[in-house]
Amino acid sequence: MSQELNRAELAEGVSFTSIRDRKFKHNYISISLLTPLEEETVTANAILPYLLRRGSKNCPDFTKLEQTLCELYGASLSADVGKTGGYQLLTCSIVGIDDRFALEGESVSAGCARLLGEILLQPNIIDGAFPEEDFRLEQQNLIDTIQADINDKRAYTVNQCRALMNEGSPLAIPKYGWVEKAREITPQAAAERYARLIDTAKVEIFFVGCGSPDGAREEFSRLFGALDRHPVPFRLPPIVEKAGAVKEKTVEMEIAQSKMAMGFRTGALADKKQMDAAKLMSYLYGGSPFSRLFVHVREEKSLCYYCAARFDSVTGVMLVDIGVERENQPAARAAILEQLSAVAAGDFTDEELESARRAYVNSLRSVPDGLSSLEGWYLAQILRGSRLTPEEEAQDIAQVSREQVIAAAGAVTLDTVFFLASKPGEPEKEEESHE
Amino acid sequence: MNKKSITSPILGERFLRVEHPSGLTILLCPMEGYSTAYAMFSAKVGSIDTTFKTQREEDFVEVPAGIAHFLEHKMFECDDGDAFAKYAKTGASANAFTSFDRTAYLFSCTGNFRESLEILLDFVSRPYFTPETVQKEQGIIGQEIRMYDDDPGWRSLFNLLGALYHVNPVRLDIAGTTESIAQITSDLLYRCYHTFYSLGNMVLTVAGNFRPEEVLETADKILRKGEEVRIQWRKAEEPREVAAPYVEQSLSVSTPLFQLGFKGEAGDSLTNLRRQVVDEILLEILCGESSPLYRRLYDSGLINGTFEYEVLAGRDYLCCMYGGESREPKKVREAICQEARRMAAEGIDPDAFRRCKKSTYGRYIGMFSRVESVASLMMGAYFAGLENMYELLDYVRDLTLPELETRLREDLDPRYSALSVVNPA
Repeated sequence: MSQELNRAELAEGVSFTSIRDRKFKHNYISISLLTPLEEETVTANAILPYLLRRGSKNCPDFTKLEQTLCELYGASLSADVGKTGGYQLLTCSIVGIDDRFALEGESVSAGCARLLGEILLQPNIIDGAFPEEDFRLEQQNLIDTIQADINDKRAYTVNQCRALMNEGSPLAIPKYGWVEKAREITPQAAAERYARLIDTAKVEIFFVGCGSPDGAREEFSRLFGALDRHPVPFRLPPIVEKAGAVKEKTVEMEIAQSKMAMGFRTGALADKKQMDAAKLMSYLYGGSPFSRLFVHVREEKSLCYYCAARFDSVTGVMLVDIGVERENQPAARAAILEQLSAVAAGDFTDEELESARRAYVNSLRSVPDGLSSLEGWYLAQILRGSRLTPEEEAQDIAQVSREQVIAAAGAVTLDTVFFLASKPGEPEKEEESHE
Repeated sequence: MNKKSITSPILGERFLRVEHPSGLTILLCPMEGYSTAYAMFSAKVGSIDTTFKTQREEDFVEVPAGIAHFLEHKMFECDDGDAFAKYAKTGASANAFTSFDRTAYLFSCTGNFRESLEILLDFVSRPYFTPETVQKEQGIIGQEIRMYDDDPGWRSLFNLLGALYHVNPVRLDIAGTTESIAQITSDLLYRCYHTFYSLGNMVLTVAGNFRPEEVLETADKILRKGEEVRIQWRKAEEPREVAAPYVEQSLSVSTPLFQLGFKGEAGDSLTNLRRQVVDEILLEILCGESSPLYRRLYDSGLINGTFEYEVLAGRDYLCCMYGGESREPKKVREAICQEARRMAAEGIDPDAFRRCKKSTYGRYIGMFSRVESVASLMMGAYFAGLENMYELLDYVRDLTLPELETRLREDLDPRYSALSVVNPA
């Protein structure tokens, strides 16, 4: 196997995972801090990757930092906020070309590792606070980002459905937090949050690429080794197995196309076999252009352009979403549930099941061809205490039986329906005006 | 069969160009170590192809906006079933897309490559449209159009193109409108198909995990030489001036979104491809993240992390665009136009030029590292008339400051700019 995974503990709660494959032309390094989603801290945490991205102690000037990246052949330095299960993920990453392509013999990979280390561990904090001007800008940007969640109506609908579904649990907390909380953060409070996270977060460092990971490992070993850390134990919250009474919410907006998201619980996923069955079932149900939802809701009924199911193995939630005309929503909802009942009743052919299996296996076998898909795959594995390769997962999926798929669909219960409805009546024609 | 190997000394890689007896050009780039094979069968037709004829017809036909995209959807339906259902038997992940000037049918797979390729070549070679299936598709595409009607980024882009261009069909939405697609008939679809889907107007590109013999044997089996089709377009007489300097629309968004566009001096496809490479470097120097202007705009809160640039280039059109969120888009326009004028008068900073050239070079190396981007690049270069896609790297490496300054004057002239804004409703 050309992609050997190596994993080392660099300091308490700090792990370094490397995957080397010479076919790539780049090296990618990411550092993720994982911290529990909490109402009190989520917003202040969310500003940190963007504040760090502004510059380090060594290079506090954003423009100079960007120029350094140009000199590293356009290496790309990113800051990101995500969430998985009950955890918030704060990530800084860098990707640069391999040294063999450098025109003047520079070491791009060493430069990238050093820069990323400086950005994360040597921030421009002076007297216990981030610089006032940087802070104000990033605070406003965070507020804009939180408010911009209505811009993408599909993502907004899915997020609202998830939040309603998990009301009262950490899973309902939005990854960027709230506008009111963002207004309350100060440059000092952000610096305190930073210090606390560096002390307590679970840290996962990934190196994926064609070059040697040794330099990066030594760099981060030195940087983290100098810290006296107190990491908080990492535990993913248990899965909610079954829905209670269906929660429903409709919000009206000035939009052309209405959107609906339906959140389902998928039962007890106590062992790997049940998990595999749930994954394959959701593929068969709505994961491809030959799935039940695509063929019966889109192609046969011509109700929509998209209607798909996705399954999150961390939360055990299956989510179906669709863009549909307001008046067709009841028909769409009925059709979506009808297809689920059909799968649970075993009303599908062996050929359909094998098609779903082939498509899923094909997507698994594509994972080793991308730097970020590899990182995403193994990070997800590591968080659940596994080291399974995509190929091993493909072999497990090959073992799932028809009966297991039927049982998996039978365990599915509808939890929440969120409907983003266009305001009644024909939406106004676009107003365009010329200056 | 005429075969030619084209190599890149910089990357130490090569691809194979084959002129197949059927009239199709086939470009093949096996990539060692990859699990996936990615194949694209593409026709040089897109939303800009609205008025055309061939040697077979007397008169030009003017087709409804969105027909190339409609045709792409309809190609998946065959007389013996749906193409997706056929791919279901091989496990390949299939898709298609239509852009301004091309339509591509593609799949990626990690096994059963030959079977999937056979499906691809077969269904794209056999059109099958009936009034009933056309009507069904009007419902689905109607929902796709409605989805884009709510997409602020998409709306701001097409409002901008409508402001920059008077008559050039690049101003039309790729999917058309619910009204325009209602006029599409199976006869019109056949006419488009028989005009643009002749093998001489198409290209097959494959990258990743496969053997060239598998492709050539499959092509021998499926493809038949057809009549040579000579396509004529009625070129829209587009003035140099923009249609409107400002356009706005209201949608449910949190902060205003804008696109600022500069209508460039468009040449033929190959010229425009080269200009696109140069203009991307220019946009980075003028207001990329490493520029002083970006810093001023960011620090004064006029732009945020969503700010980005893009060059749109194809047959008869070339425009440079900056876009993102801003509370005061007009001030952003003013600042960028002022900086463009200053740079045109005072010249481009040689150090910024060197730096941005280096970063673009690194970015272009990146395009050769993924199977899907290699297949797309081979297709894009071929349709633009560039035989050797690796020359893109040479373009960047050999670019000179005087050439960049010429492009600055011709492609970033504030007199030919327009601003499109989507305001919160």
